[in-house]
Amino acid sequence: MAKKLKAIVRLQLEAGKANPAPPVGPALASHGINIMAFCKEYNARTSNRPGEILPAEITIFTDGSFTFVLRTSPAAVLLRKAAKVEKGSGVPNKEKVGKVTRAQVKEIAELKMKDLNAISLEGAMLQIEGTARSMGITIVD
Amino acid sequence: MNWLEVSLTVNGELAESVADVLARFAPNGVMTEQGVRFVNDEDEGTATGPITVRAYLEVNDQLEETRQKLEESLFYLGMITPVPIPTYKQIADQNWMEAWKQHYKPILIGEGLLILPAWLDNPDPKRIPIKIDPGMAFGTGTHPTTQLCLELMEISTSHFPLSTVIDVGCGSGILSIAALKLGAKTVLGVDIDIESVKNSRENADVNEVGEELLLGQGSVTEVLAGQFAFKSAPLVVANILAPVLIRLFDAGLADLVEPNGEIILSGILDHQAENVIEAGQAKGLKRGEIRQMKDWVAISMKK
Repeated sequence: MAKKLKAIVRLQLEAGKANPAPPVGPALASHGINIMAFCKEYNARTSNRPGEILPAEITIFTDGSFTFVLRTSPAAVLLRKAAKVEKGSGVPNKEKVGKVTRAQVKEIAELKMKDLNAISLEGAMLQIEGTARSMGITIVD
Repeated sequence: MNWLEVSLTVNGELAESVADVLARFAPNGVMTEQGVRFVNDEDEGTATGPITVRAYLEVNDQLEETRQKLEESLFYLGMITPVPIPTYKQIADQNWMEAWKQHYKPILIGEGLLILPAWLDNPDPKRIPIKIDPGMAFGTGTHPTTQLCLELMEISTSHFPLSTVIDVGCGSGILSIAALKLGAKTVLGVDIDIESVKNSRENADVNEVGEELLLGQGSVTEVLAGQFAFKSAPLVVANILAPVLIRLFDAGLADLVEPNGEIILSGILDHQAENVIEAGQAKGLKRGEIRQMKDWVAISMKK
């Protein structure tokens, strides 16, 4: 059929816990997306990974139908895991909360290559390094 | 519970950092949204341009404190790379499970058809209802291409009683269901997307025509190869995109139409109509009725 995209919405949610409350409700209701169908499908596909933040990239078509794919965890989550810290710094320009090695940045960039807009691994690494700096995580060699 | 929507529009590289900051204060999660650009008529569209990041804070006694902390965090992020000022909007709580349904109203088609979502009662018992719940398959009935196709199907079935119909690219199954409700004995719906095949089955069951609808994953080649119950029918419907229809003619789309039969083609922009007609004529089909809605057309061709 005459599939034409209307918008791409990405919802960053905890695995198995999608529900109609914000952000899911307002994000999808405004496009006329069947919220129950999305929540059911997301929870079914992610319930085996409890505790993980798993973004769903939802492709919305002009007639209100949709498809979605699961993306890799956000870089911030992967960086916190690599640096073994609970959360990022509230004052990232002054207070550093942890360190990751350049090899770890490369590993994260490789994992997220397909989800980032970067055209090369170096470009992806720069994006990951930017996210690390914004969280108060230092990159070391 | 009411909500405060926090929203920032940023470039792609900054979106994840901003989303991370917002996620610290909005434990339910954050969303991002990006617009779409089309490079040509066949292009489904590609996400491009700035990204809007949104999060929702609960309106409670701690809201002002939370908002200040969030702005502080964005300020510090802005010390590293420029970050725009967030905008805020109050969102009244509502039944989100129902809110999305406001987009759907019964749609009258032609003389006697009616598309409506499964949760609504038929407001006009004189019309034949086709119940389609919007879901993960294209073809909710709100798009002109579907409506035009249904109009032509209604005309076609008023001329001669249908025995079998083939629906190429069945999507939600809406055209297959309509064909059965218009009197076809058996319909074969095929789609290359397995999700569409599943969704068609669900919709057929809701419309109580499940037994008469045969479904399978595939396209013209698979039907012609005899993978399904029949290889041709007096009526074939194909609501796809014009360039795909032209390619399918090369794959044997016209061979699915029985002698003296008809094919209804939709998903065609008005400036593409002549090319589609020429492709059909090259395979021995004759131009029939053409219907237009906005810049979309549907074409009937006879064998």
